Formats: sequence, C-alpha cells, structure tokens
Amino acid sequence: MDSAGIIRSRDESQEHLKRVHGDDAETLIADARYAFISGLIKEVLDKPAIAKATASDKIDNIILNRWLGIPIFLAILFGVFQFTFTVSEPLVDLIDRGLSWLSAQTAGVSPAWLSSLLSDGIIGGVGAVLSFIPIIFLLYVALSILEDTGYLARAAFVMDRVMHKIGLHGRSFVSMILGFGCTVPAVMSCRTIENPQDRLVTIMVTPLMSCGARLPVYALLSAAFFPVFQGVVVFSMYGIGIILAVLLAWFFRKRLVAGESGHFVMELPPYRVPTIPGVAEHVWERGWSFISRAGVIIFCAVMIIWSLDYFNVLEPIGRAIAPVFAPTGFGQWQPAVALVFGVLAKETVVGAFGTLFAGAEGVGGFGNVLGSQLGWTPLIAFAFMVMILLYIPCVASLGIIKKETGSWKWTLFTLGYTLVLGWIVATLIYQVGSLFL
Amino acid sequence: MTPREITIALTGNPNSGKSTVFNNLTGVRQHVGNWPGVTVEKKEGFCTFQGRRIRVVDLPGVYSLTAYSLDEVIARDFVINGNPDVVVDVVDASNLERNLYLTIQLLEMKAKLVVALNMMDIADSRDYHIDIPALSVLLGAPIVPLVAARNQGTQQLLEVVMKVYNGDIQVGGVNIQYGHDVEVEIEKLEKMISDKALAEAYSPRWLAVKLLEDDREIVEKVKQA
Repeated sequence: MDSAGIIRSRDESQEHLKRVHGDDAETLIADARYAFISGLIKEVLDKPAIAKATASDKIDNIILNRWLGIPIFLAILFGVFQFTFTVSEPLVDLIDRGLSWLSAQTAGVSPAWLSSLLSDGIIGGVGAVLSFIPIIFLLYVALSILEDTGYLARAAFVMDRVMHKIGLHGRSFVSMILGFGCTVPAVMSCRTIENPQDRLVTIMVTPLMSCGARLPVYALLSAAFFPVFQGVVVFSMYGIGIILAVLLAWFFRKRLVAGESGHFVMELPPYRVPTIPGVAEHVWERGWSFISRAGVIIFCAVMIIWSLDYFNVLEPIGRAIAPVFAPTGFGQWQPAVALVFGVLAKETVVGAFGTLFAGAEGVGGFGNVLGSQLGWTPLIAFAFMVMILLYIPCVASLGIIKKETGSWKWTLFTLGYTLVLGWIVATLIYQVGSLFL
Repeated sequence: MTPREITIALTGNPNSGKSTVFNNLTGVRQHVGNWPGVTVEKKEGFCTFQGRRIRVVDLPGVYSLTAYSLDEVIARDFVINGNPDVVVDVVDASNLERNLYLTIQLLEMKAKLVVALNMMDIADSRDYHIDIPALSVLLGAPIVPLVAARNQGTQQLLEVVMKVYNGDIQVGGVNIQYGHDVEVEIEKLEKMISDKALAEAYSPRWLAVKLLEDDREIVEKVKQA
C-alpha cells in the first residue's frame, strides 16, 4: 500500500466515524482515554463528596450505586423487551397477513409437490422466520441506543463487582452483553481480555447469553402460551441465561482453568445522545447478518426439512431421537427434529415448526398448534424455551469458538456441556413444575 | 570501565511539581540551554546513584502529547527519539484525573514509565485516598509517592528507576479499547501500515491511532514514507 493510499483510507475512516457518531475521530479517541481514566479513578480514588458534581456524576451516582445498580440494569433490560414486543406487534401481524395471503395464492399451484414446497417449505418455513424480523430489529435498535448512550459500559461496570466475586472481571461481562446481539462477535470481542484463563472461560459461557436468533422462538411460544406475560417470560429467559453464565463461569474458573485473574480498567465513556445514523448503522450491521442468514442457512435447512418430510423420512428420524427428551415434556418427534436443525441456527427451530405445521392458523399463529396437536402445556413450552436458550450453540458460534480458542477440546466441551445443561435444566423445570401445576 | 550513563526523561503537567522533582534529583548540577532550533528552554542535570551517572532531561510541562503545540512536539519527540532509558512522569496526586491523561498517552507509546505521584501531602489534607497498589496494577507501571516540596521520596524514586532500567520491574502498560467502530478502522489502517519502514520505529497500532487523531507530524511522516 502506498502512502497516498494509506492517507486516503485514513480520510475514509474519519468520514465514516464522523457520519456514524457525529463526532470526529480525534474526539472519539480522546473520549475513550477519558473513559479509561474515569473507570480507573472510580476504582482507585476515594475522595469526599464535593458539592459541584457534574450531571454525568449525578447520573452515575444513581446508576452505578452499589445497591441500585443491578436492579436498574434488570429494569432497563425488562423495559427493552416490553418495548420490543409492544412496538413490533402490529408489524409482525402485518407481515403475517401478507404471508398468509401469499400462502393462499400458492395453494392452487400444480403439481401438488410444488404447491407444498412453496406454501409449506418456503412461505411456511422461511416466512415464519422472516415474520419475526421486526422484533429482532427493534431489539437491536434498543441495544444500539443503550450502547451509544454509554449505558452498556455502565452495566458492565455494575457487574464488575459480581464478576470479581466469581474470579472474573467486568470486561468479561462486556463480551457477554454483546452476546445479546449475536454470539459470534461477542466471542470475538473476548480478544480484548488479555488473561488467557479469563478469556477462555468467557468464551465458553458467552453462548449462554440469549442472542437475537433465539428471540423468534421465544416470540412464537410466549405469544401462544403466555399471551399476558409475554414480556415477563422472555425476560426470564435472558435472566436464566445471565445467571447460569455467571454460575458456570465461577465453576469453570475454579475447577477447570485455575490461575490468577487479570486486571482491567472498566471504561466509563461520557453519556451521549445517540445519533440516528449511528444507531441505524449498528442496527443494520447486526440485522443484516440475521436477514442474510435467514436467506441462506435457514432456506437450505427448511428445504432439507421439507424434502425429508415430503418423502416421509423425517418422522422416523424424529421418533428415534424423541425418547431422549421424554423427561423434559417435549419428547415428540417434531420438537426433536426442530432441535436437530436448530443447531444450524436457532431461528431454524421456528422454520422447522413452520414447515411441519404449515397451513395451521396462519403463518405465525401455529404456536397454538403445539398445544392442540402435541398436547403442550405452558410448562412444556417454558421448558422448551429454556432448552433453546441453553443447548448447543449454533454452528457459526462453534466455528468461532474453535477459531478463537484454537482448540477442538474446548469447542467440543462447550458443545457437550451446553447440551447436558439444557437437558438437565429443562427436565428440572418440567418435573418440578409438574409437581405444583 | 565506568558503566554507561543512564538518561531519565522527566515529564508531567504544568504545576505538577516537575521542576521541584528535577531540582531534588539534580541539585546544583544542572545547565540550561535551548532545544535545537527553537527557543524553548531545555534543562538538563546530573546526579549519581548506586555508582551510576544519571542524566535527567526536564521536558516541557504538557497536558497531552498531540502535535498541537511546540512543547508537546518537543516532549513527544524526546520520549520517542531521544531514547531515554526511563521516563518519569510527575503526577499531581491532588489532581489525579486530569494528570493521568498524559500518563496513559505515555503508556500507549510503550514508554518505560515510572509514575512519580507527587503532592501526596495535599491529597492527604483533602482526604483523598488513593489505592496506589491498585493504580500501579491497572496502569501496568510502578508508582512512587512523593512530596517533592519537602524532598520526600527522591531516593525511592531513583531506586525504582534503577529497577526499571535493570529490568527488575517490567512496565506492562495499558491496553485502551477505543470502542467497536474506532477499533475496526484502527485494524484496517494497522494492516496497511505494518509493512512500512515506519512501523519499525513506532508500533503500527499507535501509528494508526495517531493517523485517525489527525496528528500533523505522523501524517507528514506517513506521507513521506
């Protein structure tokens, strides 16, 4: 690369940052240094309260408060899901109606297999996943706003204290929070953790954080089985994910990869009003990977599911696996098939159900069919959601875990422990829940 | 054969007590000149410690190491090109937050840094409690508390300087993350710069950050490379 090329590329980078953040690169870099210093000062300097606190200090006094910090974090997280589901509802309905109409149009197509391919496979399967796009985009909007205001860095700061108790550091929680979007970039972000043991443990537990691809599954099942408490149920998935990630990190750090924990400064960036181009870019970055995945992986998976089903080989496969899940309550062949294909990408679970129960009560409404045809109760639906949350991270996540740890041993360990964990927790929920309900 | 002379560069914000530290270190053995080509005063002094002759170069007092003012350029050039064995950064303990901005920029430059935490008496009188071991761990650099006005801590400072010089204390430095978007651009530029000759004298990451910061001097250097 010649010098002029480097300077040109530098100019492009500066323009890009200016457009996204509304501030020039120089300011952003200086801000990062001040963020580092603010975090450092909070850890090492104890000084008497002074009268002239800045607005940012005043907000921090509440948000970073020892007792209020975590409840505020949870309340904000809950607010995010309420916002996501409330605002997206009419949009999801609209897409749903469009797809149902499309499905009706393809009913008359001949030959019959083509009609089935179009309506059950493509519209039923891929369409079912796509109909949840508004939910995912709105979640990404909310996360991007939280990130750009500087709140997510505070959430990690708040969790720093908890993380220290489990032998990790708040920087690990930064990566875990990124896992709410997608596990792949979250695992990659663990590179900023210098201590190799801390990094390995963080990589292994990050898949337990509920990513955007799991959301369509929650949305489908919670709408069908928990119409009133949808927000609470989805929120509880995220809560279970965080709690188990923290507990397992503690366990792994103690039993598997012992060693001195690293030291970091938790950055405290200044509060800012997010810019529209900035949020738009971050949402697009995350959302596009979801759409393109739905386009490729989910399309292929749904095609395979549809053809196996069309030639009547899917059911025997499902029946062979299903008994394993009998103790969890969802030991039927359809969910067994969905779980197998869910490893490709978790939203494929919705696509699989869409294909298997196509035509029933509209594209998005087939959640109810799980109740009427499989005899699912809200308890089983809840156990299944927990299974989706915990079991085997998707293929892309496993790939990045292998790449980042450079070890098949730890990659296969992550695959194995998540599967066992998912099965145990789902079984516990179903068995214990059955005693009371 | 007498052992090689050691060079210490003394940096710090204006009013951090840097001159007092300089006087404590060198006593009367100092001389005043000008930095080459400019009319900025250059103070140098000498002292002997553990049988070694130590040259102390007092750099201009600055808040930052951008290339905006002449003082900043001089201070930075000396840290990079003057090849000091150890850089002593005088930090006002009663004004920690503002002073650390310079400190972390020095650490980003991978300087072999010793932090001289000065004015500890004032910090104490204001009831500031600084967790010095934690600060040292988080900065990845040794810290020596001082009250330069009463010439307290000078010997300890020289001891730590010698330990850093001998490699008994490693200066790890800090790893600042500039946020996802900026990091993406840094990585891009870093890759382009890494095969340039310039990357042998400076770390590619540091050059990339400086380019994004629009640092006049580094931009010129890249253009000429």
